[in-house]
Amino acid sequence: MNYLENFGQYCLLMFRAFRQPGRNRFFREQLVREIDSLGVGSVGIIAIISLFMGAVIAIQMAANIESPLIPMYTVGYATRESVILEFSSTVIALILAGKVGSNIASEIGTMRVSEQIDALEIMGVNSAGYLILPKITAALLIIPILTLMSMFLGVWGGFFACTLTGLLDSPTYIQGITLDFRPYHLVYSLIKSLVFAFIITSVASFRGYYVRGGSREVGQTSTRAVVNASISILLWNLILTRLLLL
Amino acid sequence: MIEIKHLSKSFGENQVLHQIDAAFEEGKTNLIIGQSGSGKTVLMKCVVGLFEPTEGDVLYSGRSFTQASFNEKRNIRKEIGMVFQGGALFDSMTVEENVAFPLRMFTKESRSEVMDRADLCLKRVNLPKAHKLFPSEISGGMKKRVAIARAIALNPKYLFFDEPNSGLDPRTSILIDNLIQEITQEYQTVTVINTHDMNSVMEIGDKIFYIHKGHKHWQGDRVGIWESPNKELTDFVFATRLMRDIRSKNFKL
Ligand SMILES: Nc1ncnc2c1ncn2[C@@H]1O[C@H](COP(=O)(O)OP(=O)(O)O)[C@@H](O)[C@H]1O
Ligand SMILES: [Mg+2]
Repeated sequence: MNYLENFGQYCLLMFRAFRQPGRNRFFREQLVREIDSLGVGSVGIIAIISLFMGAVIAIQMAANIESPLIPMYTVGYATRESVILEFSSTVIALILAGKVGSNIASEIGTMRVSEQIDALEIMGVNSAGYLILPKITAALLIIPILTLMSMFLGVWGGFFACTLTGLLDSPTYIQGITLDFRPYHLVYSLIKSLVFAFIITSVASFRGYYVRGGSREVGQTSTRAVVNASISILLWNLILTRLLLL
Repeated sequence: MIEIKHLSKSFGENQVLHQIDAAFEEGKTNLIIGQSGSGKTVLMKCVVGLFEPTEGDVLYSGRSFTQASFNEKRNIRKEIGMVFQGGALFDSMTVEENVAFPLRMFTKESRSEVMDRADLCLKRVNLPKAHKLFPSEISGGMKKRVAIARAIALNPKYLFFDEPNSGLDPRTSILIDNLIQEITQEYQTVTVINTHDMNSVMEIGDKIFYIHKGHKHWQGDRVGIWESPNKELTDFVFATRLMRDIRSKNFKL
């Protein structure tokens, strides 16, 4: 019951956020700011995680190929596929759910408890549209790009790990990563990243928007936003994989 | 004039306001007084439409607010300015941008016209030099001033203040009170102020409404408040030793 009620409230809020937000001179300004904090603010951590992730996947692959019947370029092939299909979209989304989700929930939550949202409403501003829409739009634009970047770096992380440690020579790895490339897998992954981007920003905004109380509640709500968003991501990962890959 | 008619508000099972009636006049400072938790903020938020009243109506110069269509509500809201308890300044914007915000949102004026008007409003509240600072960089009293400047930016007909003195020292309180009174008379606004501060009552209370546990117990002016037979009101007014002393010495207003 509570879940249904929450979900209904969430849908209503999204409806309000997407309704034509009056004359919002501020949309472009806000969007640029969000893209900056979301994109530029997350590039570093995503680069590091992706490089290491790719490196570990490649080493694990190499370590597990014992049969001489399996060619060593499989390491490159399997690393590329794991990174593209799963790791870059899902792992990056989970990382961003923690970083961006908690940030959004506490920012909007603070605006709620300090009555800044009331101040917007009293001026006749559609606060949902004003605050939430730029965040969702920025995420939809930026997170797929971050995902692509992560794929690229993940594959190269594997390359460096294998070649620098002497597990594999570089032509073999490159042979693997160019083998049987299916663009549809990229599309599948980018669709996932769009859905995840929407989940992260909308769930976090929803949690922050309806917080009541003080700074303690804002803290609790940002944790809850991260948990809610992460679970939704895992669930939709399953659903989308079933729908798009089979 | 703002009229409140039989206004009640419940949150689930908890009824916070019971059948409140009141009328607030132009050019007057209308004070809603009462203890913390008595329902002042909820009442104010019902009046300005941030909460939906469970029952009753609010009339803005005869226009019903609860019955109003979406667009009518929007129009009434543009005539309302409100100063929230903590100031509610947007903390991602500078002082100047805060004041300019409603102007940029709702007028077609150019950027320089908007900034001139913001500057004027900031000067009106005696803050000539804080334009480029962020809310986190200014004192509580300055925040209140900025909030007032933002509230008067669009020349409102109705001004609401929720506890304008909370967290301020007595001298700053008096300055803010006087500022509110001056603005009210200058712009002939209907001004409604929530407060639990007896100093404000004595300084600027033209019309006073006493709320206790969500009921309106008394209304009158600041002379009448001394003679009211209402027990809850006298308990509230003479809660401090100072006020009791004033009474016992037959202090004349
Ligand atoms: N959003 C809300 N939901 C539920 N109860 C509320 C809400 N806001 C206020 N209340 C309750 O209404 C009562 C009056 O609060 P309030 O109007 O803030 O008092 P005050 O006179 O100090 O401003 C309090 O008991 C509070 O718990
Ligand atoms: Mg209050």
